[in-house]
Order: sequence, then C-alpha cells, then structure tokens
Amino acid sequence: MTDLNAGSFAVLGLFDSPDALMAAIPRVRARALGRLEAYTPYPVHGLDEALGLRRSPLGGMVLVMGVLGVVAALVFQGWLSAVDYPLVTGGKAPSSWQAFVPIMFEIMVLFATFTAGLGMLLLLNRLPYFGHPVLQSRAIRGITRDRFALAVEADGGLDPAAAASARSALEAAGALDIEVLPEPAAGPLFTAEGIQRTLAAIVAACVGAGMLMYWAVKLMPVLPPMSHILEQPRLNPQAPSTFFRDGHGMQLPVPGTVARGFLPFPARTPEAAAGMVNPLPVTRAVLARGRSEYQVRCAVCHGALGDGVPTLTAAYGAKPANLLAPANLALSDGRIYGTIVLGKNAMPSYAADLAEDDRWAVVHYVRALQRAQHAKDEDLP
Amino acid sequence: MSVKGVMSGERTGRATRGVPPTVTGRVLWSLTVLGGCGVAATPFAAGAARFWANWMLWFLYLLTLALGALFLVALEHLVSARWSVPLRRIPERVASLLLPLVAVGAVALGALPVLFPGARAEAAADPHLAGKAFWLGAPFFSARVMGCLLLGLLPLWVLVRGSLRQDLDRDPAFTVRARRFAPACMAIFALLVTEAAFDWIGGLEPEWYSDVIGVYLFAGAFLAGLATTTLAVLYLKGRGRLGDIRFDHLYNLGGFLFGFTVFWSYIAFAQYMLMWYANLPDEVHWYQARIQGPWLGVALLLAALHFLVPFFALVTRDAKGDPGRLRWVAVVLLAAHWLDLYWLIFPQLGRTPLGSWPELSFALLFGGGTVLWLRGAMEKGEDMPVGDPFLGEGLEFRL
Amino acid sequence: MNSAAASPSAPLPDNLRAPALTVGRVTPGSLDDQILAFPERMPPRKWYIAVACTGTVMTLGLAMIGYTLFTGIGAWGNNSPVFWAFDIINFVFWVGIGHAGTLISAILFIFRKRWRNAIARFAEAMTIFAVMCAGLFPLIHVGRPWLAFWLAPYPNQRGLWTNFRSPLLWDVFAVSTYFAVSAMFWYLGLLPDLASLRDRTESRIRKPIYTLLSLGWRGSASHWQHFEKAYLLLAGLATGLVLSVHSVVSFDFATSVVPGWHMTIFPPYFVVGAIFAGFAMVVMVLIVVRESMDLKNLITDFHLEVMNKVILGMSCLMGYSYVVEAFTAWYSQNSILQHTFLNYISGTYGWAGWLTICCNVLVPQLLWIRYCRRSYPWMILVALAVTVGMWFERFCIIVISLHQDYLPSAWHNYRPTLVDYGVLLGSFGIFFTLVLLFARVLPVIATTELKATLPGAQPSHGAGHGAASGGPHD
Repeated sequence: MTDLNAGSFAVLGLFDSPDALMAAIPRVRARALGRLEAYTPYPVHGLDEALGLRRSPLGGMVLVMGVLGVVAALVFQGWLSAVDYPLVTGGKAPSSWQAFVPIMFEIMVLFATFTAGLGMLLLLNRLPYFGHPVLQSRAIRGITRDRFALAVEADGGLDPAAAASARSALEAAGALDIEVLPEPAAGPLFTAEGIQRTLAAIVAACVGAGMLMYWAVKLMPVLPPMSHILEQPRLNPQAPSTFFRDGHGMQLPVPGTVARGFLPFPARTPEAAAGMVNPLPVTRAVLARGRSEYQVRCAVCHGALGDGVPTLTAAYGAKPANLLAPANLALSDGRIYGTIVLGKNAMPSYAADLAEDDRWAVVHYVRALQRAQHAKDEDLP
Repeated sequence: MSVKGVMSGERTGRATRGVPPTVTGRVLWSLTVLGGCGVAATPFAAGAARFWANWMLWFLYLLTLALGALFLVALEHLVSARWSVPLRRIPERVASLLLPLVAVGAVALGALPVLFPGARAEAAADPHLAGKAFWLGAPFFSARVMGCLLLGLLPLWVLVRGSLRQDLDRDPAFTVRARRFAPACMAIFALLVTEAAFDWIGGLEPEWYSDVIGVYLFAGAFLAGLATTTLAVLYLKGRGRLGDIRFDHLYNLGGFLFGFTVFWSYIAFAQYMLMWYANLPDEVHWYQARIQGPWLGVALLLAALHFLVPFFALVTRDAKGDPGRLRWVAVVLLAAHWLDLYWLIFPQLGRTPLGSWPELSFALLFGGGTVLWLRGAMEKGEDMPVGDPFLGEGLEFRL
Repeated sequence: MNSAAASPSAPLPDNLRAPALTVGRVTPGSLDDQILAFPERMPPRKWYIAVACTGTVMTLGLAMIGYTLFTGIGAWGNNSPVFWAFDIINFVFWVGIGHAGTLISAILFIFRKRWRNAIARFAEAMTIFAVMCAGLFPLIHVGRPWLAFWLAPYPNQRGLWTNFRSPLLWDVFAVSTYFAVSAMFWYLGLLPDLASLRDRTESRIRKPIYTLLSLGWRGSASHWQHFEKAYLLLAGLATGLVLSVHSVVSFDFATSVVPGWHMTIFPPYFVVGAIFAGFAMVVMVLIVVRESMDLKNLITDFHLEVMNKVILGMSCLMGYSYVVEAFTAWYSQNSILQHTFLNYISGTYGWAGWLTICCNVLVPQLLWIRYCRRSYPWMILVALAVTVGMWFERFCIIVISLHQDYLPSAWHNYRPTLVDYGVLLGSFGIFFTLVLLFARVLPVIATTELKATLPGAQPSHGAGHGAASGGPHD
C-alpha cells in the first residue's frame, strides 16, 4: 500500500454493482472532498447527471465540420472543374453542381466522422495516454471486467488528511476495496509542445512519403511488369529481323513494285506521249491544284506567267522554254505531260515530285496560262 | 393518470367527451363552407383544368397523408415496436381519412378527360401511346383507381377497427393477428402508392416514365403521415390528453421526421440527377417544365422547405424532442408536401405557377374538412390503445 | 417479462412473449471469460484447417490477379461490347456484402434494437473485409494499375484534374470514405474490449500491444460520455453512408444510357439488394461462428430468426423492384428497353435471369415458415441461394444489358475465362481468411456493448429513471 503521507493523485473505491455505485455517489459528493470520477466497464445510465458532468460539445463540433466538409468539397470541385481547367465532358457544363453532390456528401461524412472519432479521442478524452495512475492500479482489472469504481481526485493531488477522509467516505458508502493512486509520472501527451512535435513529425513524414512516392513513381514504369508494354512484337525501323534471309528488318520493295499514282510511263520520249489524253476535267479545283503545283515546281524556271522569265539569276545559265511561244502553243497535252515525266535538256524528270493527277492538273494550268496571254475577244464575258 | 390506472380501465383523462360546438368549430365550419363556395365557382370562373388540377392535388395530398399514417401503424405491428404503442391510436385515427377519400377519388376521376392525354380518344392514334392506350384509357384507369382505394380499406378494417375493438375486449389475440397481417398490409400499401404515383403523377405526361416515382411518393406520404401524427400528438398533449408521452417518445418521432426528410431528399435528388445526367429527350422534358422559367422558384422553394429547413431544424438531439420545434417543423413539412404535389401536377396547366383564389378555396374546403374530420376522429376510442398488452412497456420507454 | 405490461384480463400469449437475448445466466465476468478467452489461447485444430483451406483459395486468387497484372486484361473474358463483366460484378457484389454490417452496427444502433449487440462486432468486421475485397477490383481492372493514383486530384505535370463529373470517380470517394468510416467505427467500438484484453493478460508481448492499441482507455465516466456521443454520431453518419455508397455504385450504371441501366429506381434498389446479400452472408458466417466457438447462448436462435426476417423483407422489396422495372419497361413503349428486358428471361443468358428471380424472390419465401427460420439446413439453403442470386443479379444487369444494346452490329456474347473464375473464387478466399484471422485475434462479440444491456447491468432506481432492468429487447 502506498505511503499515505505522500501526496496522492486519487482515492479509489470499488463497488460491485451499478446500483451500489449510484447510491454511493450522492453520499460521497455530499462530503465535498474533491472532484469525483467514476470508472465503469461500460457506460452506465444516469452517471453523467449524478457526477454533474457537462454536456459533450462533440455534436456541435461535428455539425460545424460537416458543413465545412460540404462547402470545401463544393469549392474544391468547382474550382478544379470550372475555373482552373474548365472542360466540357459528356456535354455537361464545367460547373455542373449536380455532379458534385455525391462527392460533397461523402466528404461531409468523412469530415464529420473524423471529427467525431479523432475529436473524441484526441481532444476531449486526451487519449492516447498511458501514464494515468488508474492503469497501474489493482482496480483496473475489475474496472474493465465487472467492477465499478468511484474516485475522489483533486487538482494538485490529495494531501494525507484529505485522502484519509476520502477513504472513510468511500468506506461509509459501501466500497468493497479502497485503493490510493499515486501521482502520475508524466502528464497527458496532449500538451501544446506535444502537439507541435506531433504535427512536425506528421509534416516530415508526409514530405518523406511524398518524395519516396515521387521516386517510386518515376521508377515504377520501367520495372516489369509495367515495362512489358514497351516490348511489342513489331518491327521497328532499322531493327534486324531473322524473318528475312539477309537479316535486315527493312527490305526493298519487290522488283517491279509500283507506287500508287506512279504507274510506269509507257513512252520513251515526250514526242511519243503526244497522243495521251488529259483525263481530268477542267474544273476550278483542278486548276487550283495545277496552279499551286506549278507555282511550287515550275514557276521558278518557267516564270509565274509561263513566259520563260525565271526567278533565277543569269548565273543559273539555262534557258527555260517560253511556254507562251507559238511553237509551244501547238503542243498537245500529252506532249507537255511527257516533258514533265521525262524531262528535257536541262529540265529533270518531275515524275517523282508529281503524282499522275497532279501532272495532268499542271498541264491544264499551263493551257490556262497560254490562253490567258493569247486571249481572244470571245473569251471576254 | 398512471400506467396502472390506464391498464385497469380508467379513461385517459380528457377535457371533453364528444365535440361540443365551440368557437373554433364554428370558425372551421364557416371557413370550410366558404372554401366550398370558391371551389364550386372555380370551374366556371377559372376553367375546368384549374378545378381538376386542384381537386387532384388535394385528393393525392390527403390520400398520401392517410396512407402514410396507415403505414406507420402497419410498420409498428410489423417490427413489434414498443415505444410507439402509446401513440398508435393517433395515426389510426388519421388513417380513417381513407373512408371519405374513396368518394373524393371517385370524383377526381373527372380529371381524366381534362388533364390526362392518355385517357382521351386521340391517344390510340398517337404512335407513342398506342401500345398502352388500353392501360391509360379511362375504363381501366378508373377501375384501377377505385379498386386500389377500396383495397386500401382492408388494412383500415383489420388494423384500425381491430385496435378500437381491443380497447373494449382487451384481447391480445388482436395483437397477434395484426402482427401476422402487417406484411400483407405492406404489400397492399406498396401496390397503392405505386399505383397512385404511376397513374396520377405519371399519367399526366404518359410519354415520360420513371420507375422510382412510387418510392418518391411513398417518401412524401410517410413524411406527411408522420407530420400529421406529430401535430396531432402535440395537440392532444397540449390539451392534457396523452400526458404520459415524454421527450423520449417525441425524440423518436422527431428522429423519424429527420431521417425521412433525408430519405425524401435522397430519392428526389437521385431521380433528378439521373435524368439530368443522361439528358435523354423523352425524360428531360418533364424536368424542363418544372425547373425552367417561373417554376424554378417553386422548385427552389420546395428544396428549401422539404429539405433544408427541416434538416437543419431537427439536426440536434434536443431539437428532435422539443415540442415547439416539432410543431412548426411538422407544419413546414405538411406545407412542403402540398408544394411537392403542386410542383408535380400544376406544370400541366402552364408555364406560370398559378396561385390565387381557387387554390385558397380548395385549401379552405379540404383543409378545413380534414381538420373537422380529424377532430371527430380524435374522439373515437381511447387516446391510447388501452387494450394493447405492450402499452405499459411503451409508456416506460427510455432512450 | 415485465408483469406490469400484462393486461389483467388475459395473460400474454406465448407468441407475443419476446424471447430473451441471452440464454442462461450471463454476467459481465462470464461474458469476458467466454469471449476474450479466444484471443488469449491457441485456436483449435479446425481453425488451422479452415485457414489452410481459405488461404489456399486466397493464394490461388492472388496468383490469378498477379497473372492478370503481368499479362493484361486480355486474360479475362471482357471484350466488346461486354467491357464490364466479372470485375464489376464482383466489385458491386462485395460492396453490397459490406452494407449489412453497417446496417447491423449503425442503423440498428440508431433504432436501439438491442439484439444487434451480440452480432455487431462481427458484422462490422465483415464490412471492412468485404470493402477491402471490393476495392481490389477497380484497382486491378484498369489496364495499368500502377497508375491508379491518377484517380487522386493532385497537381501534376500532365496539367489535368480528375473528372468530377464521372460516377467512377464518385465511386472512388464513396468507397474510400466507406472504408475509412467503417474502420474508425469498428476501432472505436473495439477500444474498451482491447482495454479488457490488456487488463486480463500478463504476457510480455501481448500486454504492450493491447496497451498501445487500447490507447490507455480506462473507462472513466467523462470519457464514456464523449465516447457514447461519438459512437451515436458515427452510427448516424454511417447510416447515411449505407444509403449513399451503394447509390453511388448504382450511379455507375444509372447515369449511362445503356438500356436496362438507366432506371431511376436503381439507387434504392441497389441499397436493398446490398442489405439483402449482406444479411445472407452474415447469417452463414454467424452460423459457423456460433457453432464452432460455442456461442449459442449469446447468438441465440432469436438472432438468427430476426435476421432471416430481414432477409425475407428485403426479398419482398427486391420482388417489388423487379415488378416495377418490368412494368416500366413495358410502359416506356421503348422497343430497345423491352428487348433488353426480354433478354433477361430468354436469349443467351435467360437462364441467369430465371436463376436470379428464383434465388432472390422465390427461395427466400420459404422464410415465411417459422420452422425454416430456425432450422440450419433451410436457413443455409436460403442464404446460399441469396448469395448466388445476388451475384447473378449483377451478372444479369451488366452482361445482359451490355451484350445486346442499341447497335445489332455490335452485339456479341460473353465468355468468362478461367482467370475470371479464379479471381472470383480468390476474393472469397481473401474474405474468409480475413474473417478467420479476425476471429482468432480479436473478440468476436462486442463484450462491452453486450455487458451494458445484460439484465441488471443498468441501475434500477425510481420511477423517474432506469431502463427496465429486465428489458432485453426493444
């Protein structure tokens, strides 16, 4: 038994039924010895009123935090969806409040729940706290099992005289066992300093976890199985392949392969092509195409008007044909086509630059240029 | 008045027996008659559509109110609740409204040719309605409505009449019978509420459909029944009857009001959000008629009265059991239920919410008539089901 | 039974007399000795055998999941147009199972139904494990699970925010909130029991663990006051969650325009279905628990009967939903919707539709018979039927609606693969393994809550106070 001459934290009396406890409380309270605290294995009805405990403020806290949760969720979603990066998805306006309601409700519940749970534990009950004297007492075994305890406590501890009167009061009230609890070695964890340290630790842990996650996320995609998506059974350019005899992945086309729009040209000379007929109709679109191709490929030598005045300087040395000259006026479409395909003198073949249709379009355009410079009266509207 | 006294047959203390002609009674009668004149004038001065819309609204209002009260009685029997036994007589009396409602409903069938496109002859030619023209047509519709109304009298007969008889013969066999009948009563109730919702609410726009309107109307009905019960309980308590009802009982009533306010809001929002989200043309037009233009104000008022106000007024523990708080919240909920049905029905009449002397007359007639009926009903039997074997336990109920 | 309640003219008939919630003499001390002894001693051999079985199934499931992650979703049967199949069926199934636990521990607490006390702890644990199983599926059914954190709205280099207009994101929030709240609710309830375990043990290993876990709980009256308030608030909030979480899951379907999915009754219908399936699972597990741990004096026949009544009630509500949906399909005069509904009972998967209706609506009607409500074979038959029926209901909703929707050129049948079956079985293995581990390590009955409602537990003084000291029920 603890030395009664030292200061004690509390004097505890043990009872074996809730009725006994409830009967003892007014009797001990009447002696006005100090603060009363009861310890029970489960909540006992009427105990709060008997001890004179104030109403728990938890309900108000939870209501406030719940409303805060709704507002926070609305503002959060609204800002992200309608202000920061507004996107129309599914035909819904960026600020569609209807779509935000489910998450608003869930966040409300989350905020309210954590306020209730953590607020009750940390703020109101100041748990965890492992140093309370009753945890080290004899009585605690009974308290969490089936015994009910009434303790007389006082701020700053009970002096020996007060402890003795508390003891006698509890005995008079019918306690089965009396125990004196010594002062605790340490106070509750939740001092201002303790909270500061905890918060700092949490922030440090978050930063550490964030950095770890960043590193892991950077690393993860290159680890299997995530990297399997990079291994695909396809042929990349310049890669070898065992499928072909020569081991190359890239192969030339089979001899005789013809690209679309680049069928082999039957004639050997432009003159031999004179009989070819222009398959394209003379439409605005065709002429526009012909003009754009002409301006890109032909005008540099033959001039924008087809008059053989090039944009090149005399240093170039060649003499491009004047397409408006009478001799060239009499050329057939096929003859011009053949010149484009086979080239003539200094002019190279443009077969690789122009697909068949484009060549015929250029032919139409050249014809249009010729007509433009040799217009007759009937051409005017 | 003590529990023992009640059990041994003492009359539950009551100020008067019968309904003597009082000032209140006379005022009520005059207002009701005044309303009746207005109602009679409505088809001539304001149009047939207006008349029938109002008649339908009040029929559905009182029907859901009575069914909600009956549901409360059946629920108590179903789950063998004890705390509500002392209060059970009140919803039993409110449920008696089902009797005159059979006639009101029969008259309401007059709305069919005026407000229900599906009931008209042209419906058979409309390609959207041709497949269900026989369902929407007047003969089958009327048969369904009358059949359901008459079927609703069965639980009234078994549960309410049996309860009143138990006052006299104190036979616990009724409690056993009621417990056994309760599931059937639930099935009947489900049928009635779903039929009322699909036919009366859905039938106004036969091309539209929503399978949750039965549940929606149930939520509103239960709330209305609860609110009426609460008001009646507080009224009787104020008169010195039902003196043994305590905070604990009122708290449970308040808790139910709170919970079902949330439930109604959840169903209402779910239906709206789903139709908004999918944005299908054949569903959305129903909501467009109800939340665009002037009707938006009514919709917002409905959300405020049916959800925001009762929710925040009843959220704290003390509020749920406080008689003053419960009284005005119950009134707000009853007004909100009326507004709910108004919002469901009146968009049929036009883009502008109509509210003028016809609505007031109907309110006076039906509201006054209901209060008069209930005043009479409050004299039927004892104020508590004195024959119920669990009355004592119910009176001793603690949270 | 309180004799003052009996009418003086006729005694209370037997069928009105409510049964006691405990059999035999149960005191707080005997309760502790009975329940808390399990974590304190070595489990019997049958526990090891059971864990070995469930553990094997769990390992198989995890292997199948690993194979899926390694190979890709092609290992499953999902394909156009049935893009959702076993993955989402299992997700919805397991989330639903969890709801029964929350209903029992939270909603029945709000309604002050004292019979809930003996089964609440176990049911809550089942909720947490079911939600864990459920959460697995959205994770593994995406093509790149290692990028699942993209679902969180954090500022990122992609400059993108998550799409808050998507029900799939609402799911993420709803299920995570549900898990967090259920875990907190469960842990808070466990605190006093952990304190009891702490004070009963002298073991050098267990005592520090229990001390730490119980946070130094000492049963002080001021602590109880705040604790009770927090518990009540949490119960109320969890009640809201039961409605909202499965409604949000139903929004995954109902917000779409797939025929058969866009039905406004889905939210309450899914919630009812969840409670239905969950209760069936709770009944099955509790039968095993009460037999193998000899808890028949605490989990009485009355408990099982009343849970069976809930199952029956939910079955009727499911029947109502089916009727209303079928009626609405006809009423809508929408030929595609009508085609989908005909597919439910005829066509490639018509057998699944009939199986669903029989298992969910017809078989549970057996529970109208009192004998069936109290006899193991019938109870287990109904519970199994409900579990199978509810799984197949989700199968019908998902596969039947998807395999033939608007465009006939996109119609195609669905075949699950062995990996699908393996993952489904594995989820059951995970669930039951966790349940067995819980039963070994923690008290399966909330001893503190039960102690508070035993006869004689509360003070009985005066007319102005005290719950009826003999009143075990409400």
